[in-house]
Amino acid sequence: MSKKKSNATRRAETLATREKAAAVRREQERAERRRRNVVVGIAVFVVLLLVGGIGYAVQSSRDATGETAAPPSGITDEYALVRGDAGAQVTVTVYEDFMCPYCGQFEAASRDTLDSLVDSGDVKVEYRVISFLDRASNGTDYSTRAMNALGAVLDTAGTDAALAFHDKLYEHQPAEGSDGLSDDQLVKYAVESGAAEATVRAPIEDRAFEGWVVNATDAANKDGVSSTPTVQVDGTTLEYTTTDELVTELQKAVEAAQAG
Amino acid sequence: MRWVGVLARLVVGGVWIVAGALKLPDPTESVRAVRNYQLLPEAVVPFVGHSLPVLEILVGLCLLLGLLTRPAAVVSAVLMGAFVVGIASAWARGLSIECGCFGGGGGPVENATAAYPWEIARDAALMLASLYLVWRPGTPAALDNIVFAPTYDGDPVSDS
Repeated sequence: MSKKKSNATRRAETLATREKAAAVRREQERAERRRRNVVVGIAVFVVLLLVGGIGYAVQSSRDATGETAAPPSGITDEYALVRGDAGAQVTVTVYEDFMCPYCGQFEAASRDTLDSLVDSGDVKVEYRVISFLDRASNGTDYSTRAMNALGAVLDTAGTDAALAFHDKLYEHQPAEGSDGLSDDQLVKYAVESGAAEATVRAPIEDRAFEGWVVNATDAANKDGVSSTPTVQVDGTTLEYTTTDELVTELQKAVEAAQAG
Repeated sequence: MRWVGVLARLVVGGVWIVAGALKLPDPTESVRAVRNYQLLPEAVVPFVGHSLPVLEILVGLCLLLGLLTRPAAVVSAVLMGAFVVGIASAWARGLSIECGCFGGGGGPVENATAAYPWEIARDAALMLASLYLVWRPGTPAALDNIVFAPTYDGDPVSDS
């Protein structure tokens, strides 16, 4: 074996060494870029996490749910406006929103029936008004304003005035998606229902019971009320697809409860 | 084919931003929308209601800008999958609730059940688009191409 390599072999070896060195260098650079990318990725992620955390904090601070708010005096069980004798045998519970058109339909279709049942003394109706259609009044928050006004009438003028005001708001229900009744109109109907303008105007305009409105709505949501009107007879929710069906089901359920 | 990923980023990211932005103004309502599904324990309902809109906007921005595309697409696909399960389960349990997908939640819905199939189909399609981005996160016109150096030789987008 000759110790002397041919020129060609030497050249080939030098080339191979160079290529190997270049490959090692490339690999080192790649590893370096990978390290840098991991650092950059983590930095971006931490920034996103911070922004998300701030966003979450802002959102929860803007949610007033659960803050203690005094209910109007004269309210039953914190959120119920009761029509009829407190000791009545059967309880009909109605969850409704003043802006909800189906609630208006239900009110019109069931009023006579419910009134005569209440007059007979066997039945009491618990209105549990809620406010979740504020977005359906062009930013005027009609659902909240109307329910707050109900609280104001109850607080200043008592149950009979509040019931009259409740009925009046459905008789003059604004169309869903409209501005709703103005504060002045609410005051006018409150006065017609028996409240004194001198005492009822301020709580209506200042939304004195807004916190109560939020908590009432949240309580209903926690009770599983996800649409209105939700009507219960002695705690059992009635199933329905049309307003007529709801009224029929209501009559049947009340008769069954009276018999039982 | 490289532009399929860009299209997926724009569509999915755009939908997330719109959905999140519509929920942002009313945190109380978005908590109630979550609660309506009656799936999560009450202890975590407010957290989910408050954080979801923010998360949606961040995921949407990441996809739109092409920043951390793959992780963002993973989050996006998981969320869409969760929504599909949520809506399907509400449907199966006979709940008649508003989706709450684009704000709202708890509205009077006579025809909630009629909307469920379409909502499920929409979310499933968006989940598939997200999964495509998990598979092929490298797209043109993405911040990832600027922020991150390529760790392989050659064109950063043609291969991944």
